[in-house]
Amino acid sequence: MSALELIDIRKRYGSVETLKGIDLSLADGEFLVLLGSSGCGKSTLLNIIAGLAEATDGDVRIGDRSVTGVHPKDRDIAMVFQSYALYPNMSVARNIGFGLEMRKVAEAERIAAVEKTAKILQIENLLARKPSELSGGQRQRVAIGRALVRDPQIFLFDEPLSNLDAKLRMEMRTELKRLHQMLGTTIVYVTHDQIEAMTLATRIAVMRDGQIEQLAAPDEIYNRPATRYVASFVGSPPMNMLDCTFADGLAHIDGTLSNIALPAHLHEVAAAAHHITVGIRPESLTLADASNTKFGIDAKIEVVELTGPELVVTATIGKQRLTVSLPPRSQVSVGTTQRFAIDVSALHVFDRATDKRI
Amino acid sequence: MERQSLPFTIFIHIAALVLAIVILAPVVWLFVMSISSTPDLVAKPLHWWPDTVDLSRYGVLLSSVANSAGEAFVASLFNSLKVAGMATVAALAVAIPSAWAVSRTPSVGWSLYAVIATYMLPPVALAVPLYMTLAWFGLLNNIFGLALVYLTILAPFTTWLLKSGFDSIPREIESAAVMDGARLDQILRLITLPLAAPVMATAALFAFLLAWDEFFYALLFTSDQRAKTLTVAIADLAGGRVSDYGLIATAGVLAALPPLLIGLFMQRALISGLTSGGVKG
Repeated sequence: MSALELIDIRKRYGSVETLKGIDLSLADGEFLVLLGSSGCGKSTLLNIIAGLAEATDGDVRIGDRSVTGVHPKDRDIAMVFQSYALYPNMSVARNIGFGLEMRKVAEAERIAAVEKTAKILQIENLLARKPSELSGGQRQRVAIGRALVRDPQIFLFDEPLSNLDAKLRMEMRTELKRLHQMLGTTIVYVTHDQIEAMTLATRIAVMRDGQIEQLAAPDEIYNRPATRYVASFVGSPPMNMLDCTFADGLAHIDGTLSNIALPAHLHEVAAAAHHITVGIRPESLTLADASNTKFGIDAKIEVVELTGPELVVTATIGKQRLTVSLPPRSQVSVGTTQRFAIDVSALHVFDRATDKRI
Repeated sequence: MERQSLPFTIFIHIAALVLAIVILAPVVWLFVMSISSTPDLVAKPLHWWPDTVDLSRYGVLLSSVANSAGEAFVASLFNSLKVAGMATVAALAVAIPSAWAVSRTPSVGWSLYAVIATYMLPPVALAVPLYMTLAWFGLLNNIFGLALVYLTILAPFTTWLLKSGFDSIPREIESAAVMDGARLDQILRLITLPLAAPVMATAALFAFLLAWDEFFYALLFTSDQRAKTLTVAIADLAGGRVSDYGLIATAGVLAALPPLLIGLFMQRALISGLTSGGVKG
């Protein structure tokens, strides 16, 4: 049984199509992250699942029941909003219990449920306060509690951590992961933060222009990105994309005399594409030494930034930019030309005409 | 602004003082006139401060002797309270649903502009049609008729004010309530309206003041004690052969009291920032 199924979801606003046919199926207990930059349609999709917006076409099925046209309250879902959307005039306890109150759950039962939820989220001591008396992280917990208390079939999260500062965001991220592992509920989570997506998801749907570019486990999204867009969206610093022309088993980097030897199994398709983009993660480049000078590219070092755990080097090769993550104590100097060795097994090759992986 | 030079501080205080004088001087003079004796008021040169405090006019205006100036004044006071009160309540009753609807449905926002456009018409242009309509319904010289006319003035204004109030309440809060299973009436009653309380109080206060101070329509559509409002009654004091400026001033002071009391009473409700804490920030 699938917890959630989306069948060819389309959404049009006038002549603008913001969702262009979304299909996906979610098993029970999965943590799906919809990842994309703003305007890609991920929040619209979430609202359609929630029932706050109606799809122009297509069907939403929750627990094998079509919910198209069903009121949000009858869909057995709960949502955590980006702005928390707490009721400012009510105490934390009433905020959490509001859903049960509206569903006419008996008061004793309601209080017990609220207390149990508060205990899970460690906010028992805040129950009497008003939202304005809480810190950002506490409000976030209350918003999660409000969803949790109803024990719905699916949780929807709309960029829940984007209003928190960096440190708190990390804490809440871990907290969410812990909650998911503990409760085993099905979650759909919208974010534009690739770190959140990578750490939380069991599967990531990378969205772009109203379509899913790739739907896969985080590991596959990172290590085998299906398109150039996915490759450049996930990873920090982002993947280097070098425009190359393929000939004789070598990818000749445009505007330079440098080239990269491609693994043999890629030769045939690369030759067919001819114009290709070679993607190299910054961390798969290393300083070339005597033992591996042969498979390397020369780049002129322009900026060196020490972030603490790593040294981020920005260099140029021809007119193209190359970012390299090196161990913090590497010896590099600005202005010199440096040879970098490439881990050939970690190359990503894309067809420049279609932007698809080959 | 932690550090300010002394001349600048002095300048700020003088500016504040000038502003206070400009605002308060007419009110103070009104009060001084109301307690000055007639000889003091007509003396040349003018006595800025009365030799003797004369409170007799307050007695005159608040007396309930039949056919006295007092009786007319007190009757008009109650007419004003009733008319302004009814018009305000009716205006809010109309404005709350329509303002909420316009605020949550931006595509019909133009309709509010259309209503506001009627404000561009000078009242005198509407006077004759309104007079004929009221006459047709037999509502001339009637407090209900006048309240109805005031409703047409107050409703667009309160709707406009409430719309901006509702706009500031995040829609996500209502979406959250929808998902929590609240019906439309529950959302409004339990969440939106409590959050909009400050702006509703503001709208009610301004609507009441607007109706309380209205003179033009009241003068045209009322003719005797059954419906005359305060503004008309005060004007009547100035009519006739002899004008007692002190009496007019006294009526002015008394007319200012009810709105003042209402304002003080509503001060608690006017506290803003009730929405803080529900959403980010």
